[in-house]
Amino acid sequence: MTAPAEQQPSPVASTGIKSDLVSGLVLVALAGYILWLNQKFPVGSLADPGPGYVPMLLAIGLGLVGLLVAVMGGRSRPLAAIRWPEGTRAVIILVACTAAGLALEYIGYRLTIFAFLVFFIGVIERKPPLPVVLVSGGFSLGSYYIIGDVLHVPLPVGPWGF
Amino acid sequence: MVETFNDLMLGFSVAFQPQILMYAFGGCIIGTLVGMMPGLGPLAGISLLLPATFGLNPIVAIVLLAGVYYGAMYGGSTTSILMRIPGEAASVMTCVDGYAMTQNGRAGPALAIAAIGSFFAGTVGVIGLMLLAPTLATFALRFGPPEYTALLLMGLFVLAYMSGGSMLKTLAMAIFGLLLGMIGIDIMSGYTRFSFGIVELGDGVGIVSVAVGLFGISEILLTAGNQDTPQVQKPTLRELIPSKEEFRLSAGPIMRGSLLGFMIGIIPGSAHIISSFVSYGIERRMSKHPERFGNGAIEGVAGPESANNAAATGAFVPMLALGIPTSPVTAVMIAAIMIHGISPGPMLIQEQPELFWGFVASMYVGNLVLLILNLPMVGLFVNLLRIPYAYMYPCILAFCILGVYSVSNSIIDVWIMLVMGGVGYVLRKFHYDLAPVALGLVLGPMLELSLRQSLALSGGEYGIFLERPIAMTMFGLGGLLLLLALKPLIFKSKDWRSKVGLEDEAD
Repeated sequence: MTAPAEQQPSPVASTGIKSDLVSGLVLVALAGYILWLNQKFPVGSLADPGPGYVPMLLAIGLGLVGLLVAVMGGRSRPLAAIRWPEGTRAVIILVACTAAGLALEYIGYRLTIFAFLVFFIGVIERKPPLPVVLVSGGFSLGSYYIIGDVLHVPLPVGPWGF
Repeated sequence: MVETFNDLMLGFSVAFQPQILMYAFGGCIIGTLVGMMPGLGPLAGISLLLPATFGLNPIVAIVLLAGVYYGAMYGGSTTSILMRIPGEAASVMTCVDGYAMTQNGRAGPALAIAAIGSFFAGTVGVIGLMLLAPTLATFALRFGPPEYTALLLMGLFVLAYMSGGSMLKTLAMAIFGLLLGMIGIDIMSGYTRFSFGIVELGDGVGIVSVAVGLFGISEILLTAGNQDTPQVQKPTLRELIPSKEEFRLSAGPIMRGSLLGFMIGIIPGSAHIISSFVSYGIERRMSKHPERFGNGAIEGVAGPESANNAAATGAFVPMLALGIPTSPVTAVMIAAIMIHGISPGPMLIQEQPELFWGFVASMYVGNLVLLILNLPMVGLFVNLLRIPYAYMYPCILAFCILGVYSVSNSIIDVWIMLVMGGVGYVLRKFHYDLAPVALGLVLGPMLELSLRQSLALSGGEYGIFLERPIAMTMFGLGGLLLLLALKPLIFKSKDWRSKVGLEDEAD
């Protein structure tokens, strides 16, 4: 499934800072940061390259390509034309996944996934309670049974033994 | 030839073992379901299933994962034809005429031709794999570090040139992936690099967490909030039979798509995606009635579907013969083999003939399973598409967490997945291709090792790459591609992307 189509930029938005200029400069900044981090590692000599040699070459390459993306990005979309209609939902998803990751090893797989699904289907998507409980309970127990019990993949268990 | 036949018989003796057959069958079914589910393409499907293969023997593991791969390729076409939703990117072109055929009441023949084309292309691909991989592996035994360096660099140039989007952006993503591959302990010096004091990063960044983050999580982030439960047509078995005219029109595109797809599949990059675009462009150009394309031309389904399936098989050639992945999917499959202590590379076919030939034979069987089972079961499969997305995407997210965590029981992998999901989401907004990141991650350590070994061998002389004929030829090809890529920028001419209809993505 592909992303929803971007909205067409308005005439006002067709001017202004270009998206490739911004993304190219971010790549240049990233390259600079990597070069800074790489200072710790010996570059060595050509006959005996050290652990910092290849990362240095790659960071320089990334910086150069980033610069070219920025310079040649005149035909790209304006930054303002990039829409983020699903941005809030995306942040909620990432935060909820982080919370689930934090809980996983403390309260176990089944409880974590049950709470995770109840949050999304019940709270975010506002579905009726019965389907929420059935789907959340069924998925957390069923997936544990298949992956943990049948396929013998070790999954975290909470302090209450499940 | 006799030797190849005997080897193939060995492969069939492995593939027809009940356990292998069962897993090939299971892989195809799981793959079809995965391919139909939005947010779970073949890569995410294979990555998530990887932990479940740890307890299996390596032949079973690779047969299962390969089944998921080509099952997912097939599943993606079903949603494209019936709902105009490409289950995975390679099916985008199938949407155009496949969905138009559905609107014209010809969904059944479109599905049938997609399945027949996929079967034919899969078979052509397997024959190509069988003939080409052992030859290539024998040739690759002559490779030393300079040749591997040249090969990997040439691969990256080809990847940038053949990518569907901007060459510069693809190159940037490949370098970003290579840099991710630098994280962890440097095996030549013992230094731990870029680990920020996190012990788990000493082993490097895992391909599964990166792949699931970039391709699975980012897709969910882009599509969450979609409230539509689409209407789905459910064709009966009788409605699946194409007319004689439809068979006649499809024969040429299936054959052309199969050969073209296999050749493109060997090349690094998102080959199965590119091959479907190129095939569609060629069929439209060759047609006596190009105006039919976009309005339900069956050639527009037959060509791209055959091409993307043949490309999927072609990608196994460099993976099995050279140990070099040319796509994120084969990168994960290499990880799957290596978990079992087997190193893919030129010696694989000689040292593990049962694995190689069993895999080849199981692909024949898998293609047949897909053809025989999926068409009659299409009505059953489409029921999955009736599940509202509000229920489906949280379950996919839970699967992602579960799959990534269970690879090495490490919560760090989950954090990496989430970070890569967020990064992938932003990069897709800026029209960056994500496949080179995953590919670079796997190729990075290989490239570094071979480059440093080459320089150590030559006492620091880069001239070693020009003294060795194979390495020099590869560098020459890479340089040629670079010049070809620069030509449209200098002379303002159209490049190949514009000619096959990828111009929108290459902006």
